[in-house]
Amino acid sequence: MSRVAPPAAVLTAGMSSWTPTESRPEPGGQPTQPGPAGTAGPVGPTGPIGAPALGLRGLSKAFGAKQAVEDLDLDVPTGSMFGLVGPNGAGKTTTLSMATGLLRPDRGTATVLGHDVWTDPARAKALMGVLPDGLRLFDRLSGRELLSYVGRLRSVPAADIASRSAELLETLGLADDASELVVDYSAGMTKKIGLACALIHAPRLLILDEPFEAVDPVSGETIRRILRGYVQGGGTVVLSSHVMELVESLCDRVAVVAQGRVLATGTLDEVRAGESLQQRFLGLVGVREGGSEALAWLRSSSV
Amino acid sequence: MVALVVGLKLTLLRNGLRRSVWRTVGLIIGMLYGLGLVVGALAGLIALRWTSTVFTADLTVVVFSIITVGWMALSVLVFGVDETVDPGKFALLPVPARKLQPGMFLAGLVGTPGIATTLIVIGLVITWARDVPLALAALLAAPLGLATCFLLARTATSAFSQALASRRFRDFAAVALALFGAVIGITANLIGNYSGFHPDQMRGLLARAATVLGWTPFGWAWSVPAAVARGDWLGAVARLVLAAALVVALWLAWRRFLERSLTSPLTGGGGGGRQVRAGTLVERLFPATPAGAVATRAMRYWRRDPRYLASLGGICVAPIVVVVTQLANPHRTQALIVFAPILITLFLGSIVASDISYDGSALWTHISTGLRGADDRWGRVMSTTLVILPISLVMIIATTAITGELGQLPRVLALLVVMALSGLGVGSWIGAIWQTPAPPPGASPFAKNEGGGAAALILFGATTGLTLVCALPTVALVVGSVWLPWLAWVALLVALVTGVLALRAGVRLGGTRLDRHWPDVLTAVTAKS
Repeated sequence: MSRVAPPAAVLTAGMSSWTPTESRPEPGGQPTQPGPAGTAGPVGPTGPIGAPALGLRGLSKAFGAKQAVEDLDLDVPTGSMFGLVGPNGAGKTTTLSMATGLLRPDRGTATVLGHDVWTDPARAKALMGVLPDGLRLFDRLSGRELLSYVGRLRSVPAADIASRSAELLETLGLADDASELVVDYSAGMTKKIGLACALIHAPRLLILDEPFEAVDPVSGETIRRILRGYVQGGGTVVLSSHVMELVESLCDRVAVVAQGRVLATGTLDEVRAGESLQQRFLGLVGVREGGSEALAWLRSSSV
Repeated sequence: MVALVVGLKLTLLRNGLRRSVWRTVGLIIGMLYGLGLVVGALAGLIALRWTSTVFTADLTVVVFSIITVGWMALSVLVFGVDETVDPGKFALLPVPARKLQPGMFLAGLVGTPGIATTLIVIGLVITWARDVPLALAALLAAPLGLATCFLLARTATSAFSQALASRRFRDFAAVALALFGAVIGITANLIGNYSGFHPDQMRGLLARAATVLGWTPFGWAWSVPAAVARGDWLGAVARLVLAAALVVALWLAWRRFLERSLTSPLTGGGGGGRQVRAGTLVERLFPATPAGAVATRAMRYWRRDPRYLASLGGICVAPIVVVVTQLANPHRTQALIVFAPILITLFLGSIVASDISYDGSALWTHISTGLRGADDRWGRVMSTTLVILPISLVMIIATTAITGELGQLPRVLALLVVMALSGLGVGSWIGAIWQTPAPPPGASPFAKNEGGGAAALILFGATTGLTLVCALPTVALVVGSVWLPWLAWVALLVALVTGVLALRAGVRLGGTRLDRHWPDVLTAVTAKS
């Protein structure tokens, strides 16, 4: 990660207070020491030795007759920036919902650092921060109130909530709108406040569904910096996207998902296999034919 | 366009039923109820053909005026309006409100209340089809009356919901809503006070009521055939003109509201840039625990979310109605005024129970933060208590001041305490088991879908019934204290004990149930209502 300029310098220095290196007493694990400038190396795992940050085994979910996710296995190693890519309707959101305890799987298990999401939800949920896609926030609260609400729900000490939310709002460029109701935020601002909510308790694992959607390029770069710093500090990020270039530039590990199954997974280079991620993705998923001949009537302007 | 919109409504209804069993159950119960009403009304209307035209005239004017008032009152206060076909969804299409309106009108009538009313109105035409002028008058009046019912309900709910959503008129609208409910209730009660007279007096009363109602907007259309029956041709023409003018006016008013939802469908109201003061007073009211956080958040929603403001109006209406009616009655019953504050607790259970449904998909926050179900329950109980407490105190002080009956205080307190505490407990438990379809935040608080009204009624019945069961020991002791006055103090003690027990049990049961079923609850409240 390249060293970063002023706004991020504040961020990197300040992040020591909420990168995963220092968090509230974690169940079953030793609290670890914050490293200098938030760049401490990976820390001892809280779960069984060698447990992946996120482990999915045989996850399946059907909605009526439609099999959204079928027998899906996935391992996300600790300390990785993991990109989940797939076409629309591939089952990315369904998979992430089941991994975060928001949707009950028909079969299969999900573990966070060795803690089962479905049999030991309290521990698993304390370790992860979540940004779902397409679900509301408590949007009659202002940005600051929402952050403090999530912090208090997670029993973060009041002093930490105050300092962390001030820092998060400042870093994400929401400080001026912090007293405005979230319902009046733009789509991008809503994504950013959602991300802040996912970070407030300094989780060990971040699960982000489409975190860059509707976010402007400047904020997008800020979020990328935050995530890189977070991974450098020993945290793990799982994010879904269908922008291949973004995943290629940000993630070190990738899984390609289509029709509820994992088609390929591994490090970025393993999955790419010498091609660009875009080409490899199209090769795996299959290109729809007739892109140029179809919709001929659109070409002659009807106005 | 008309066929398209009506077809859309039918398709949406069918798809909605396919998604939810409860909706089907609600719809079937509603339809059975409607069917019963329709059969009864049609039988009555056909039987009227064997009575005098004057009697028929008086009776139909009174009954149909009440139906018209009922459409408006029930839409505003109880059921809301069926927004299955949301006009805001047409905002991107090049369709002006003028072209959309006839379709929206017919689509709105497609539904249990609309179809039932239409059938009953056809019954009115049947009863008047005695000679050609009468039949003609009824045929002219029936569609006008039907349109008045529907359009009054639509314009009233649109006006109220826009006022509730705007910052400036919000409080005013909440008060106006409560007053409107109170006026309806008081009128109904006052009419009730006159019942029990001799049949002859009743007949005279009916005639007078028909005369008065026939000149109100609710009765204009219905009194056209009635006036013809009396040979009052001038009156008939005057009412016909008035009724037609009213329908046109309501039609245009409704179009204004449609236009607004077509051009600005996205605003939650009040426009952007709403700043809230960084007040921490609310945060300090509750303990610094997850449950306290839930309570703080809920308090802010009571203040900022029109859906909560609307239910606040509902809480206050019933006691005010009773007190005012009794004060207006020369032969007032002191006891009714004294015990009126207890009625505050009537909706408490269903308010707490539907709280979780109001969250909608935002509930994921509680789940992913690993909030314990019991903390969720306690938080909501705490905020509702804080809302109810001052209202109860004011009401009790007011009614005691009016009557001066300090001696009744232990009885009133006993009943209020046990009903409130067990209502909160029952609501906490039932809310964890069953989530009703609720309008999303920012939508009109009156928007309900087919079956939503029936679901609300079932929820109300279940919570109230269970609450009463919990209150039975206290009620028995209060009744007993009529003979043994010291039992009132025992009742107060028992009320506290049973109330606290019911509350704790409800919170614990509800909490455990939530801990086990969080994802299923999220699915239930996220399902598009």
